[in-house]
Parts: sequence; C-alpha cells; structure tokens
Amino acid sequence: MTLLQVKNLVKHFPVRGGFLNRVVGKVQAVNNVSFGVEAGETLGVVGESGCGKSTLGKTIMRLYPPTAGQVEFDGTDISNLGRTAMLPIRRKMQMIFQDPNSSLNPRMTIAGTLGEVTRFHRVVPHSDVDAYVDELMNKVGMRPDDKTKYPHEFSGGQKQRIGIARALAVQPQFIVADEPVSALDVSIQAQVLNLMQDLKDEFQLTLMFISHDLKVVNHFCDRLIVMYLGHVVEELRCNNLTQDAKHPYTQALLGANPINDPDERRPLTVLEGDVPSPYNPPPGCPFAGRCSMVTDRCRVENPPLVQIGTDHEVACWEVAPPTEQTPVTQDAAS
Amino acid sequence: MMQRIRKTRAGRKLLANRMALGAMLIIGVYLAAAIFVMLGGISPSFCNQPVGPPNIPGFFAEAPAEKRLVNAENTLAVVDRALAKSTPESQQASLDEIQVGLRKLEKISLDDFELKLEKAYAIYDDLSASPDLENDESGLALLADLESEVESLTATPTFSQQVMETIYLSLGTDRQGRSIFIRAVFSIKVAVQIGVVTAMISVAIGSVLGALAGFFGGWVDHAVIWLYSTFSSIPNLVLLVVLAYVFSSINVEIFGKAIGQTLIPVYVAFCCTFWIGPCRVIRGETLKIKELEYVQASTTAGFSPVYTLLRHVLPNTIHLMLINFSLLLIGAIKSEVILSFLNLGVQAGAGASWGIMIRDSRSEVLNSFFWQIGAATTLMFIFVLAFNILSDALQDAFDPKHV
Repeated sequence: MTLLQVKNLVKHFPVRGGFLNRVVGKVQAVNNVSFGVEAGETLGVVGESGCGKSTLGKTIMRLYPPTAGQVEFDGTDISNLGRTAMLPIRRKMQMIFQDPNSSLNPRMTIAGTLGEVTRFHRVVPHSDVDAYVDELMNKVGMRPDDKTKYPHEFSGGQKQRIGIARALAVQPQFIVADEPVSALDVSIQAQVLNLMQDLKDEFQLTLMFISHDLKVVNHFCDRLIVMYLGHVVEELRCNNLTQDAKHPYTQALLGANPINDPDERRPLTVLEGDVPSPYNPPPGCPFAGRCSMVTDRCRVENPPLVQIGTDHEVACWEVAPPTEQTPVTQDAAS
Repeated sequence: MMQRIRKTRAGRKLLANRMALGAMLIIGVYLAAAIFVMLGGISPSFCNQPVGPPNIPGFFAEAPAEKRLVNAENTLAVVDRALAKSTPESQQASLDEIQVGLRKLEKISLDDFELKLEKAYAIYDDLSASPDLENDESGLALLADLESEVESLTATPTFSQQVMETIYLSLGTDRQGRSIFIRAVFSIKVAVQIGVVTAMISVAIGSVLGALAGFFGGWVDHAVIWLYSTFSSIPNLVLLVVLAYVFSSINVEIFGKAIGQTLIPVYVAFCCTFWIGPCRVIRGETLKIKELEYVQASTTAGFSPVYTLLRHVLPNTIHLMLINFSLLLIGAIKSEVILSFLNLGVQAGAGASWGIMIRDSRSEVLNSFFWQIGAATTLMFIFVLAFNILSDALQDAFDPKHV
C-alpha cells in the first residue's frame, strides 16, 4: 500500500527586491518531484547540500506551502489543507529535525516539550500524560527522571533522542527524518540510527530518511532517491547500490565514499565545478555542467525519469534514453 | 525563586558578578525610598514647605556670618511685625501662627517677647556696625549671642522634633527654606515612577509589535516598520514640547488634578518614542527564532501560530526585554530631568524632581551654594550608574558567547 504519494511537487521561493519589493525571481528548490512511499518501508533521500532534500521534506510536512503539485497522504490530498484540517494528518506524520541544539525550546523542560504535544492531540487522557512521557523517555533510551531537566543539560545525542520522542509522542505512521544524525558524532550516530531502526520495527513506522551520507542510507533504507538541484535524477533499491547505480551523479556520490578495504581499488571520479544556482538554473539537464558523459542534447533538454528495471528509474539521456515502450513518469521540466 | 535563578546559566553569571550585586543593592535602596514616598512617607505638599531658614548649608556646616545675620534678623522681623499689631489679642494670634522652621514660639507673655526682642535688636545694632563680620572675632561672638537670643524665642524642641530637624536640615535648605534632603528623596519616587511606567509600557508595546511584525511578516511587518520609522523621525524632545502644550491646554481632570499637572503628558511623550528600540530588537530576534527548528516542530505538531508565538518565540526574547527595560528606565529618568529643567516635565504641583531642583539651583550656584544641585545630581548619578552597571551585567549574563 502506498502511504505517501508525491505528484509533480514544485516548491519555488520568491526572491523579492528592487522597487516596491517586487518578486524579481525565484529559487527553484524543488522541481517536479514525484515518488511514492510504501507503508512500512524506509525511503532514503540523498543529494549534496542545497539540492532541495530538506525543502522537499518540509514541503511534504506542510511547513512550506507547495507551489504546485500534490502530496497525497493515505489517499488524502494534503497540499491545500488548512491548519485545522491538517490536524488529523499531523497525528499521523511527524518530523525529526536536523539540529538537536535548536530543535528543543531552551525555556521548556523535556516534560513540557513532550507533554505539550501529547496533551494537544489528546493521545492519552490528561491524567496519564506524566506516565506516558515516562514511557516515551524509556522508549528512546533515556531515564524518566531526566524529564524535569532543560535541553541545555543534555548532550547532542540525548537531545536528538528527545526530538525522536517528540515525533513519536503522537504515535505517527510516517516520519520524515531530516538528516537526523548529521549533527552528531560518529559514535553517537550509530546509537541513534539503531534506536530509529528499533523504533521503526516496534511501531511499524514508515520513514523518509533525508541524508547526504550514502553509507548511512545504504545501511538504513530500502529504497533511495537521489536528488540534484531540485530534480530527482535516480530512484532505485538499496540492495546493491554500487552495481545498480546508473546515473553519473549517483556514481560520483558513491565514488566519493571511502572504502574500508585498503587493497580494493576503483577508478576515481572527481566531480568538477559546483552545483549551479537554483536561482538561475541552466537549461537542459541540471547535471550537464559537471557530467563526464555530457552530450549536446543534455545541455538543451532535461531528461525524463525512465524506468530501466524493477523499482529503478533514471533521468539521463545517455544511460537510459526513453523509448516508446518505456513509461515516462516525469515530464521534462518546463 | 533564588533557586530558580541559580538554575539558569544567566542567573548564575549575574549572581557571580560583584559589580552587578552592588548595583542591585543600590537600586534596592532607591526602590525602598521610592516605595516609602509612595506609601505617603513624604507628601508632595511637604516638599514645598519651608522647614528652616533659606540656603543653610548641608551637613550642619556654619553658614557665612553675613547669611547668619540676615537669617536672625528675618526671624526678629517676623516677631516684630506680629507685636506691631494694634490689639493684644491680634498680637497674640499672630505670634501663635509664627513658626521658625519646625518650631513654634515659646509660650511667654507679650511683655517678655518685647523684652527679648529689644535685647536682640540691641545686639543686632552693634553687629551691623561691624564692617567685616567674617574676620571680626568680637563680632562673631556677638553673632552667637544674637542667635542664642533668637533661639530662646522659640519653644525647646521635643526629642522627635530634634530628630526630624536633623534629618530635614542634613543637606541644607534651598532658597525658600525647603529641605533639600526631602526634595531629593521625593524626586527618587518621581524618577522611579516615570522610569518604571514608561519603560514597562514601552517594552510591552515594542515587544508585542516587534514580535507580531517579525513572526507574521508580510503586511504586518511593513506596517510596523512604517510606524516605527515614522515615530523615530520625530525628535523626542520636540514631541514632548508639543504634547506638554496640548495637555496643558485641555481641561481634563484625573484624580482631581488637571491633566497637565500630572505625569501623564510625560508618560505619553516618552512611550511614543521609547517603544521603537525594543520593537526593533524583538522583531530581529523573532525573525531569527521563527526559523529555528523548535518553532517548526511546533508547526508540525499542529499548534496555531499565535500559540507558537506566545509559547515558543516570546519566552525566548525575555532577556532582550529585560535589558531593554533597564536601558529605557535610565533613558526615561535622564529625559525627565532634562524636561523638568526646561519646565516641561514634572510640574511643581506634583512635588519635586531632580530636574526642578537643578533648575531652582541656578541662582544659588551664582552665590556659591552648591548643596541643592549637588544633592540632585549625585543621587541621579548614582542611580543611573547603578542601572547602567546592571544592564551591562544583564547583557553579559544573557550573552551566550560571553564567558
């Protein structure tokens, strides 16, 4: 069952300036993105900084109103719902934030932060809120006594656990995890990831895991979408990433990962140049400027996502030229 | 309370700062004085009542001999005038009314008064012949005699009267014989009242508008920015002059006083311009905070924007409100002194103010009498300095980058 279906989602931020604050341009953060998340699976979203992964997550969470396209959650189109109409949806989808240091209100105790959400959504009767908070603290591996403390009394990993507890407080089905471990030490990363894995199994959660660390994603996710400059460039299963990845950008990302074995060698692919500005994206394929396989067509026309295998779609003229038979899931961006 | 303060990092830093503790102690003393006055310890009319001869110096120092002579002569003249009345009844009635400083005249017969007066005037006549009284030893001895004669006219003071006299005359008297100490202490209440009221109202208005502007953005932001740009382009003092005239010309009574005689024009004028500072600061901080993840988490939890603003944004700007409060309080007190000096702020009917005292002391300073201006400026200086130290300490305590 598809829990979340994103259809042609677009998020552009207006840039204001000049006389009378006119809109003088737009930052194209997310461009025509479509994908689905099956109930119970973990979808990874990777890409380098500024490629729109976080914006995608936050647009799905309706932290930003989408510019165009639909987000369907459990069959309901939530892209235009008002705040109160969103409330039942909010109980089913939650978000884990990136920076544990700014994701907790410094002036509220942990009990306050967790209890606030619990009370608001009437997850448990008011008299049971305290016990419920204790239970949540236990679930994320913290001592219930610590709930009277303030956020600054905790370490980054502990704060991130509390952030996870807050997301779990409403007993959601779906969680968007926006780089939940990128601000943590490597040793703590593993702990938090294992915790998330355990909680996912315990509550049968569906996760959308945003990250820029392919290793983490490979370990943690069932499926993966690779984003570049607001576009999805490849969508594939995580079983055998190194072999399956076809898009030159995905390959470059994989190539940038260090290998554990000093004897193993592989050709070094180094990406030249920089990500083009999303304010003024070049025509054609967004990756054309840095791609080793670039052709004239790439510079003019944006390739559509083309299915090349089970659960495997690539947007590249060279790797997967679209034919009449192959279903095209994404139109060339206008 | 104390433990809650100790629990926060800022609270610990503040309590570890000795300068800040000293400043808080001084401010505490001032506040106690202000509360004492407010509870009726000193009435406004008492401020304007003479308690002794004019311009006697503070710390019970001797006035110049010339001055002592004039003061003694003044007292004699008053008694003389009362005795000059036509009938014995009216003479007695006039004598009963006379008060020298806080003291009544002694209860003796009219004839005795005549005798004492004659004796005193005889000494006075001798003295007036002396050309250089200050350096004339026999003259000074005579002056002391004269003063004891004058004093014998008045009743022996009771113990409490003596204590009161000691307090009232401790910093001397002004040109009208009013106690400088009493006026300076009463001015603390005026200063604290104006400071606290304007700072509270300004910070409240500024915080609300700033938070709304920063949090909701869009046309609200534009409206607030327009408003504070407009208000900040009006010079504070000019606005106050205008308001002072407007309020003095309208005939509205508040608490039985004409509105121009109360402090309300001062409050209105200060609040009109003082809210801009906190508004700017709080707007900036709100812009910063609203992008933080705990505010976004509040939105993803489904809380309304107003709840988010009140629960997650505003509590995190309290430190700025506190700092702005103490800064504005100083600003208001200083402005009040300037305005009262220009006769636009506190009116005489409202009692005294440091500004009024400084204005009154202009002619005294020409005669080398510094007690009034000294008392007013010293009290103001200490208060403003203590608050400056406190707001500095607050700023340091709340600054996360300051170790």
